[in-house]
Amino acid sequence: MEIYLPVAEMSVPWIVMIALGLLVGFLSGMFGVGGGFLMTPLLVFCGIPSTVAVATTLSHVTASSMSGALAQWRKRAIDFPMAGVMLAGGLVGTLFGVWLFALMRRQGQMDLIVALTYVIMLGSIGIIMLRESLASLQAWRSGVTLSSRTVNRGWIQALPFKMRFRQSRLYISIIPPMAIGFVVGALSAIMGIGGGFIVVPAMIYILRMPTNVVMGTSLLQIIVITAVTTVLQATSNYAVDIVLALLLVAGGVVGAQLGVRVGAKMRGEQLRLGLAIVVLVVAAVLLWRLVARPADVYSLTLGQP
Amino acid sequence: MRRALLAVLLLLSVPVRAEDLVSGISQDIIQITSNYTGTDIVVFGAIERADKARGRDIVVVVRGPDTPMTVRRRDRFAGVWVNSDSARFEGLPGYYYLASSEPVDLIAPPRALANYGIGMRYLIPSQIGSHHDARPFKDAALRHLKERGLYTEAPGTIDFLSETLFRTRIPVPADVARGQYNVEVYLFRDGEVVSAQSTPLFIDQTGIERRLFNLAHNAPLFYGLACVFMAMLLGWISSVLFRRPA
Repeated sequence: MEIYLPVAEMSVPWIVMIALGLLVGFLSGMFGVGGGFLMTPLLVFCGIPSTVAVATTLSHVTASSMSGALAQWRKRAIDFPMAGVMLAGGLVGTLFGVWLFALMRRQGQMDLIVALTYVIMLGSIGIIMLRESLASLQAWRSGVTLSSRTVNRGWIQALPFKMRFRQSRLYISIIPPMAIGFVVGALSAIMGIGGGFIVVPAMIYILRMPTNVVMGTSLLQIIVITAVTTVLQATSNYAVDIVLALLLVAGGVVGAQLGVRVGAKMRGEQLRLGLAIVVLVVAAVLLWRLVARPADVYSLTLGQP
Repeated sequence: MRRALLAVLLLLSVPVRAEDLVSGISQDIIQITSNYTGTDIVVFGAIERADKARGRDIVVVVRGPDTPMTVRRRDRFAGVWVNSDSARFEGLPGYYYLASSEPVDLIAPPRALANYGIGMRYLIPSQIGSHHDARPFKDAALRHLKERGLYTEAPGTIDFLSETLFRTRIPVPADVARGQYNVEVYLFRDGEVVSAQSTPLFIDQTGIERRLFNLAHNAPLFYGLACVFMAMLLGWISSVLFRRPA
């Protein structure tokens, strides 16, 4: 029941990889995120070299985002100019990220940087979501409706190069979306994630985009970023394993569709609370592995580092 | 004068009296296919012009292609374990399996073992890149290689089918590197190598695996685009299949 991965040059039980795709796909469909932040650590835990795990997870994110983006597109809920502006920053960020990835691999600090980035990003976003969802759940129980957030984008309004985004009903500078795109593009190359869990809060809280176009627009930009990063990883690091990608994608797209069904039956606050818990658990496990005394302080890398 | 005479006598006697070795392997090429999960090879041989069995030993060594290795040590820095010192070794085989009729230290003195690279302790890197004492790093490398099943010493695993006929079974794990391996068979007599034979063994991917690996390295742009296309296609298909009836 094992299948040989030609690029990772190892055998894995194929049923486990499909199940992994299914599980992560289910969570990503339910919570509306790409799921890369779960997939990469899980693959590394299964013994896949971390460079292959990072590069191959991207295909899984492309596929599950594709299936979600098409549904949003049918609902006309994608702001194409906004996605375009973010992508302009995102593509530069991706190039920067792939360059940084190769540099860190030579320095031997790749695993540390990836783990630290994960702990910081997941930890802070998890805590924010946990507090927010608990507050709104409590408010919902006691029957109070929370007043909508006060609009305060003073410093963003002051920036130059303004552009009108009709679908988002915004007239803002293109610098913040480009900057967000850059950060997410770089993270995507380093961590093997689409960055949905960063883009979505950034669009809502920083750019103040209406929630109904946020999902579709972020999915579109994630598809393009992960697609470009896959090609860059394939050409510069030879780290994409197409057999592994096929297994993960096959499980992932089915899981994503099932997850969407389940997610549709739940309240938004409950979903955010669930996602917050998953995110915090992953962050805690990674943090533990950074601070706990390793079983062996020596590690061995075969071949060119 | 006496020494010269002795040398002549020895020269004359060698071709007549020396034991010799004939050996072979069950397969000289291992093909990695999609369901490859490791395999066994059998090394067998016979001793010709056999002398008495006492004092005779057989050692079989399988060596993989040389692989550069980097060992890193983690130290605690601000509460977090980070990679600090490292050492790089070149010229060590990526796979090493030793089967012998007895523990190698009982067969021959360390000098002879080091000469032939018999026993993983006696493997010497051709190049060491390190700013400090590399010994703990080399020990750590051997420990990891042993744990991963890439380096093995298996004393007492040579089966003698008769006085002069022997064989041994060598497991080739699933995650060995591709390339040319060498199967070496040594015949020891009283701590000296009297005959040795080396046979190449090739491990290579075949079929679709081979083609995918080549594609990934020779046409990476096309390969990357194919991955993206595959992912998008499956995403699209699933969204069509699962589309809710409106």
